[in-house]
Amino acid sequence: MTATVTPPAARRALTRRAVVPWLFLAPGLLLALVFKFWPMAKGVWLSFFDVRPFLGDKWIGLDNYTRVLTDHRFQDAIGHTLVLGIGQSVGAILLGFVLALLLEGQARSLKLLRTAVFLPAVTATAVVGELWRLMYYPTSDGLLNSGLHLLGLGPVQFLDNPNLALWSTMAMGIWIWAPYNMVIILAGLAGVDRSLYEAAAMDGVSLWQRLRYVTLPAIRPALMIVLTLATIRGLRVFTEVYVLTGGGPAGSTDVWMTRAYTLGFTRNDIGGASAASVVLLCVTLLLTVTINHLRKRGEAR
Amino acid sequence: MGDRRRSRRLAAVLAVTALGFGTAACGAGSDSAGSGDPNTLEVWTRSNPDPAATYERVFAAFTKKTGIKIDYQPVINFDQQLQSRASTKDLPDVMINDTALMGSYQSQGLLKPIDPATITGGDQLTAKTWSSTVGVDGKHYGIPYSRQAQTLMIRTDWLKKLGLKTPTTWQEMLSVAKAFATRDPDGDGKADTYGMVVPGSAQNGYAAWWGASFLWQGGARIVEPDGKGTYKPTMDSSAAVTTVTWMKNNLFCGDNAVTQPGALTAVTSTATNFQDGNAGMYLTGPYNIATFDQTLGKDKYEVIPAPAGPASGDVLADGENIYFGARTGKTKQERALAAFLISPEGQKLAMTGKNQPVVRIPVNSTLDAAKVRDDARWSVVQKAYEDASQQFPNAPDFAPIKQDTADALNSIFTYCGGDVRSQLKELNETLAGDLKDQDLLK
Repeated sequence: MTATVTPPAARRALTRRAVVPWLFLAPGLLLALVFKFWPMAKGVWLSFFDVRPFLGDKWIGLDNYTRVLTDHRFQDAIGHTLVLGIGQSVGAILLGFVLALLLEGQARSLKLLRTAVFLPAVTATAVVGELWRLMYYPTSDGLLNSGLHLLGLGPVQFLDNPNLALWSTMAMGIWIWAPYNMVIILAGLAGVDRSLYEAAAMDGVSLWQRLRYVTLPAIRPALMIVLTLATIRGLRVFTEVYVLTGGGPAGSTDVWMTRAYTLGFTRNDIGGASAASVVLLCVTLLLTVTINHLRKRGEAR
Repeated sequence: MGDRRRSRRLAAVLAVTALGFGTAACGAGSDSAGSGDPNTLEVWTRSNPDPAATYERVFAAFTKKTGIKIDYQPVINFDQQLQSRASTKDLPDVMINDTALMGSYQSQGLLKPIDPATITGGDQLTAKTWSSTVGVDGKHYGIPYSRQAQTLMIRTDWLKKLGLKTPTTWQEMLSVAKAFATRDPDGDGKADTYGMVVPGSAQNGYAAWWGASFLWQGGARIVEPDGKGTYKPTMDSSAAVTTVTWMKNNLFCGDNAVTQPGALTAVTSTATNFQDGNAGMYLTGPYNIATFDQTLGKDKYEVIPAPAGPASGDVLADGENIYFGARTGKTKQERALAAFLISPEGQKLAMTGKNQPVVRIPVNSTLDAAKVRDDARWSVVQKAYEDASQQFPNAPDFAPIKQDTADALNSIFTYCGGDVRSQLKELNETLAGDLKDQDLLK
């Protein structure tokens, strides 16, 4: 349209064309600026201070960082975060993949089943946590323990045994996030060229070979998205743990964010909590960039 | 078509402008609220809607009497909100909140010092009550408003059924707990009852809050003042080791059902076994009496003094203070409000009515909780507060100390194979660090 008009008009149209999208983006950007980027910047800023809102903050440089990173409870929490994050992500991706393979298709019953399976992902995490707390109830009144009771086992202290609590939390995390991953993988599976399967069938490959050489390479982009999201989610896990165990017993399920929360809101150490959050932000950023890099390299190949 | 595009563009511009104004208006609104009129006090309490209704009644009576208006804000996430107000350097004029927060607020410079002599009727508060609002520098930073002490709630119908007496010592309490757990007091033929309810999670410091009474009874203290304004952590004392070992061996690592299942991850809101009718004892604050009357029934349980330990029968006392926000410039009106709130009239109003009472044990010594409420059970609580109670030290910022103690106790009770003495020694070092951060370590 602009290609045929005279140069000055074209310039005007160009500036207009440049401005209008920004105008449409403005509400979203403004909201992001006020509610996301500004608080984030403020958080980074506060992490260098002894925060005393009324008396005025006191610059203490990297003290918050050294204090947080040398605290053994924080180090434990980092370990738990890694175990929980990796376990939960891998578990949820595997389960999501299996679910997607099982539930892929156009049949009406499958649609219904997919909706049912997706429910955990749309339910509020706090509600799910409360639900699982009841299921994990450590006597034969609890759902899981009543099942074990029928088999003549248990009762198992799912949440009160410090050696078990983290794994119990992980099981719930996998249950919540698997359906979410399933949906993304399903979308990937829908894009796989059917003729490849047919060709594979003609070549007489086994089920495993078909998965390994046809399906997996085809849904690689979907898997990368799932992996990136899972990594970020795994590191900043909070609600699941907070609702289920509150970090206990004996700090055995304390993760990065619950530790930061305790620091900020029950010990009134906003500076320390900010420093902890900034470290988490950096690690998350680093991991995301790494995964992206790997993905691009993979695509180039 | 061009017209439509233009009008859409116009709409977008309008939307952006409106949004801009909206954010600007929000920013301007928050710092001008209530600070203009010198005859209006902005008052904050940490209250749910039900107790807030009680406060509203009290403040209405105050306004009627003095003509000073109250801009009342019941705030649930009090401390987060207060921090954000502090950063605008415009605090509420008067705040009513937990006694244990005084040291924390004072260290942040949020409070105005108070001379008890300037509060009309201040002489009707006992010296012990007043002493609980002295800060690190020896000045008062709060006016006592409501007090409470922990008592033991116990199922009398269960005691009767099993032919047991009300326990008065730890040992008796333990055998009652075991009987409740094993002798089927609810008569349904199933082993589904528990001895006592424990909110034993470290979350929000609950393990320390609940465990404090046991520590006091065993003769232990968390930190001790040396009389010169500094403190010494004392969780490595032999009394502390003996007490914590007793709790660990008998309540958590001994027979299974002495405490309710899941005790070590329970907070007060999830530890509902007493009101659900499957646990027989609960050492807790009197604010639960109203709830238990409703859910369990008044005839099923009794409020008794906590069973005594080897050293004493002392329990944890806490409550609420009235705090004046720093630099608010309405001292006269604030004093008038405080005088009304601690007067017999103000206290009675806050203790009665159909909503949850906001004054538990009156600080005004001319009042008697049981008489005002016409409920003899409250005299048990009042007696516990007056004769056998200890508060957390009020001068230091106690939040980190409480949290660290809770973390350690929760951990000790969880790992039954651990060595209590060395774990408490480690806690003591952590506490020393907390005190050192506040320049309060001896």
